[in-house]
Amino acid sequence: MKSADVVVIGGGPGGYVCGIRATQLGLKTVLVERDRLGGECLNYGCIPSKSLITVSKLFEKVRNGAKYGLKVDAVSIDFVALQKWKSEVVSKLVSGVGALLSGNGVEVLKGDAELVDKNNVKVVTTAGIEQIHTKSIVIATGTRPVSIPGLTIDREMIITSKEALDLDRAPERFLIVGGGAIGLEFASMYQKFGSLVTVVELTDQLLPGTDIDSVRVVQRSLENHGVKILLKSKVASTEKSTAQVKATIETPSGTTSIEADKILVSVGRKANTEKLNLSAIGVELDQRGYIKVDEHMMTNVAGIYAIGDVRGPPLLAHKASKEGIVAAESIAGKPTAADWKVIPDAIFTDPEIASAGLTESKAIEAGYSVKRSRFPFAALGRALSVGETEGFVKIISNAQDGLVLGVQIVGPEASNLISEIALAIEMGATVEDIALTVHPHPTFPEAIMEAAESAAGHPVHQLKS
Amino acid sequence: MPYEFKLPDIGEGVAEGEVLKWFVKEGDPVKEDQPLVEVMTDKVNVQIPSPRTGTVGKLMAKEGDVVKVGTTLVLISLPGEQPSTAPSPQAPPQARTPEVTLQGPSVPEPGPASRALATPATRRLARELNVDIARIRGSGPQSRVTDDDVRAAAGRGGQQAVVLGKAAPAPPTSSAREEVVPLRGIRKTIAERMVRSKNTAAHVTHVDEVDMTELVVLREAFKGSAEKRGVKLTFLPFIVKALVPALKEYKFVNSTLDDAAGNIILKKYYNLGIAVDTEQGLVVVVVRDVDRKDIFELAGEIESLAEKARTGRLSLDEVHGATFTITNVGGIGGLFATPIINPPEAAILGVHAIKKRPVFRDGKVEVRDMMYISLSFDHRIFDGAYAARFTNKIIETIQDPKKLLTEVL
Repeated sequence: MKSADVVVIGGGPGGYVCGIRATQLGLKTVLVERDRLGGECLNYGCIPSKSLITVSKLFEKVRNGAKYGLKVDAVSIDFVALQKWKSEVVSKLVSGVGALLSGNGVEVLKGDAELVDKNNVKVVTTAGIEQIHTKSIVIATGTRPVSIPGLTIDREMIITSKEALDLDRAPERFLIVGGGAIGLEFASMYQKFGSLVTVVELTDQLLPGTDIDSVRVVQRSLENHGVKILLKSKVASTEKSTAQVKATIETPSGTTSIEADKILVSVGRKANTEKLNLSAIGVELDQRGYIKVDEHMMTNVAGIYAIGDVRGPPLLAHKASKEGIVAAESIAGKPTAADWKVIPDAIFTDPEIASAGLTESKAIEAGYSVKRSRFPFAALGRALSVGETEGFVKIISNAQDGLVLGVQIVGPEASNLISEIALAIEMGATVEDIALTVHPHPTFPEAIMEAAESAAGHPVHQLKS
Repeated sequence: MPYEFKLPDIGEGVAEGEVLKWFVKEGDPVKEDQPLVEVMTDKVNVQIPSPRTGTVGKLMAKEGDVVKVGTTLVLISLPGEQPSTAPSPQAPPQARTPEVTLQGPSVPEPGPASRALATPATRRLARELNVDIARIRGSGPQSRVTDDDVRAAAGRGGQQAVVLGKAAPAPPTSSAREEVVPLRGIRKTIAERMVRSKNTAAHVTHVDEVDMTELVVLREAFKGSAEKRGVKLTFLPFIVKALVPALKEYKFVNSTLDDAAGNIILKKYYNLGIAVDTEQGLVVVVVRDVDRKDIFELAGEIESLAEKARTGRLSLDEVHGATFTITNVGGIGGLFATPIINPPEAAILGVHAIKKRPVFRDGKVEVRDMMYISLSFDHRIFDGAYAARFTNKIIETIQDPKKLLTEVL
């Protein structure tokens, strides 16, 4: 029987970071992964999707290059070459994670893990069953896509995000069920690759929970590019034939049917907890099936920790990684806690949406007297020179002392811009702090400075309206 | 398990309060709704009643302590429990605000102020030194907790010994020649608000005089019936009433400037703030919808609000929401004053002593009851001519008993 200080179950961005930090802190660590290191993010999520999205944007830009004086005859996408490149990117990162783990001395076991009790983990590998005695266990098993009645995933015609990243061509007619972050990123991307895209969303807003002003910009852009959006609608049934699938959709204005070559189901995700034997050990789950933890990432059972998606939203790789570090430090007896004020998020639609901290409505709910200031990218030199002028930076600050409460950015490079805001909020910066910080010209972050100046009451490149 | 009674979030950005007085001792039986403690916030003093029936356990804050919203004030053992003197170890670190009824508005969820303002590195330092950062009163701007604050708190013995309200470095102490009075509560609020007002609004003061002779007669006439209703009739309710037509006609006086949005918000309701001199400092009480109340209702309300202000019994909704403020500076003496606008309002009216003065009327010198009035206004919102016309309208109403009568009743 093997023995360890820590067994980490799952090698995604939560688990592998936890494993590395645990060994760095002197703990003997075994990491169990049943599929590929890097988890959903590296293999079936963030990285491959961003690779494809980048090419789709480039493709669109080149196709419309004439207005910039860029003349190219007959641009086309070679999907085989594209997928090969994407796989290389993924492989490179996955092998990098492997190298980091072994370089730090983390033992990686390939197989399915199950908890025997709070100190024993059983791993089913191809070579047989192995049992590990351990002081602590970190569950980092992530989530998986779910479907809804009437939409049975066959991974051919009715697919999840995983298959949508491996297509050998853009579907002519692509029906996307679920207007959340994943659905809309695919909608943006496949529209650019030439698909006729329809998005069906159950609620009355795309990207539920996201600042409505930001969503509006993305929705308008999608619709301007020919994406059809059906809100307050749901797929009632589907009917497959050899060449296509027909979906019957209930919309507020009646029932309609849409024929599609592929249907992407992106309606939500579910925690991977069923195969871990948690209920026998008494690990508590919340109502939605996520594992409950405290600020040290410990479950109700001492010695058992949970991090990342499996312990609940937001389902984001960077949150998982930070939680992995907290769990490793807790196990090592270090003073640590998940006490960050914000977890920034980024949605890679076109334009991108990124946000950190409170939205306007949440800030009002929390009892702040809220000041809102916006700066449009249309007034920013860099945005004009890149030809991407949709969107704005919106700063929500406390009217009394200018404390930055939250920022929503929709526009070019929003995902890269939001880190400045996360730092500002963690540091307790005020809008004056941001306004007084020199930002280089001409760059996108100037939009943040301009919005901050406006919040502080002295905008330079914006008229007080 | 004993009930942990925490300082509730009383809204309006109130982040902390000073424990003024305990109405109970350890071991006392306490009934639901019985007053437990009086707390002075920077807005108002509030008596907080007990949310539970039980026995008072350990008092976790002394009179004079400044405590943050969400801090446990007292443990209450519920019937059938042993009285407890220690907080329960299982209690979550950031427990929800208990349900508490106040003399004011309903209690919202834990508010924004419950979190210490500190950088991530400072928060880590606090954990390393085993100090609860939420219990440290920071010395930095906006009560920001610095590394030094954390080290100082740790030097006092970690979280057990962190004395709330005593910010590091150690506060200066009084000597034979100087006395140090901490700037707290109402005084602190006045200090902050007055500076904010002066820094924000473009102050101008317009002064005029009004002939009060007719009003003196009118008040005499109403005095008897006021007494029958049990109210003392001062000049103030009449002036409040005389303001209504002026505020209605010159609507920018009854407004707020939203600088961020670049909008002037005209208020179509008339809530008059009345400045009341109290021992702790000036408190502005708010009489709501004065256009819809008669002179006796106004007199009664002003009297009771002023009394509450003096005894520290105001609720929050009795001190906010004014659209225009009157300050009566004539009671003690002086010719006229230039009041500071009560932000975010657009103007404030100072009324002064009524004195007999010789004035020319129809070519003759007559002795009349005269009073100076001074209107301080925010020149960003309207101009001097507008202020003068507004003031003229007030004067006209006060000087013409017929006009005033239609307003008064």
